[in-house]
Amino acid sequence: MSAIEISLLEKRFGRVRALDRVSATIPEGSITLLSGPNGAGKSTLLRVLACLTRPTRGTVRVLGVNPFSRDGVVHRGRLGYLGQEAALYGELTVQENLEFCANLYGVDPQRIRALIQDMELEPVARQRVRTLSLGYRRRVGLARARLTDPPLLLLDEPWNGLDAEASQRLTDLLQRHREAGRTALVAAHSPATTAGLFDAVLRLEAGRLAGLER
Amino acid sequence: MPCSGSKRGGWPGSSGEGAVIGPRVATAVLRKDLLLDLRSKDRVGHMAVFAALIVVLLSISLPSSNPATRGWIPPLIWIVFLFTSLLGLGRSFQAESEEGAVALLVQVPCDRGWVFLGKAAANLLALLGVQLWTAILCTVFLDVAWAVALPEILLVGLLGAIGLAAVGTLLSAMANSARFREFLLPVLLFPLILPVLIFAARMTTEVLAGREIPLAWWGALGLYDWVFVLIGYFVFEYILED
Repeated sequence: MSAIEISLLEKRFGRVRALDRVSATIPEGSITLLSGPNGAGKSTLLRVLACLTRPTRGTVRVLGVNPFSRDGVVHRGRLGYLGQEAALYGELTVQENLEFCANLYGVDPQRIRALIQDMELEPVARQRVRTLSLGYRRRVGLARARLTDPPLLLLDEPWNGLDAEASQRLTDLLQRHREAGRTALVAAHSPATTAGLFDAVLRLEAGRLAGLER
Repeated sequence: MPCSGSKRGGWPGSSGEGAVIGPRVATAVLRKDLLLDLRSKDRVGHMAVFAALIVVLLSISLPSSNPATRGWIPPLIWIVFLFTSLLGLGRSFQAESEEGAVALLVQVPCDRGWVFLGKAAANLLALLGVQLWTAILCTVFLDVAWAVALPEILLVGLLGAIGLAAVGTLLSAMANSARFREFLLPVLLFPLILPVLIFAARMTTEVLAGREIPLAWWGALGLYDWVFVLIGYFVFEYILED
């Protein structure tokens, strides 16, 4: 079964066509690299799939449903999205940010403790996010994206700001994610620690699909 | 199935799952906004200082012994409240603008109208705090005797604040991603909030003068609030997206 199906997807911002008739299918249980030069439309595609922006034309099915339909509303919580910004409140602590998201998505508070341990965030759990380094903020953002144990992760440049050790941990995490039969679509330029990680590469250029290699 | 053509909406509690998730989301947003307000104190602090400055200026410039100028006080109080509220409403999505946190509110697994209700409730509490503070200042500096008809005054204040919180939250979300948001919010807000300003100011004048308020005025103010809460609930689904 396909985790993501997009057909003739188009997204315009005024006169700018960020995505131009992109069609692709991403199977469940795979990790796909979304590659392409700056301005290729990678972030826009991830934002459409994460329901942050509506497509101008075309069809989208994520985890078997149209995420913009009435039925798709409850599925929004099943998408783990980490954008270029970590989507956190700077004046709240790491713990409070995760608690807020857990309340939004109805997640058991035990899951927060497990994620804080898993992402090695214990030293900063009670610190306000605005005082954290970029690397820690990305890790908290990733913990937040994983809060609902989502079957689909949509990650935009997740290795940015991470040191070598944290980068390797993220790669291991994605491998475990796939082993559990889950799916990820990851936009990245030149991930250093990802040898053998990706099952497919979806390449965009100037908003168009330039290739899909499996 | 075209993505952009699907119908959205549904009144709170209309779907089984939404009936549980929606109130939880609204409560979470309200609690988070109150925590941020208590922690940073910027928003409430700025509003309190601004209201104090304007009321003190009014107390200096208005000759309190002149009965004609006393009649201006209720509308002036509502104008003070409106401008003070504008300071706070303009910043009600500031925390979401930083670090892209608006994505959290866009991805809620229920109608985004519940996010609007949570945000509007947080704004309403802040505005009621501002009203209370303004009322105290007016008692001290302008010698306003609220005790003449306290229940009516409280109800007028509440209905006015609900209208302002509903419209202000909606427009603040719309203006948040705009380039000239500091300019855009008042330009959009003032014409829309005019009915509230007119009714609330006139009702306050009548109450303070010891006269009875026509039932239709209460109905008009209540209807305005209800309409804008409904509009906010349904429109919010689209406003938060890019």
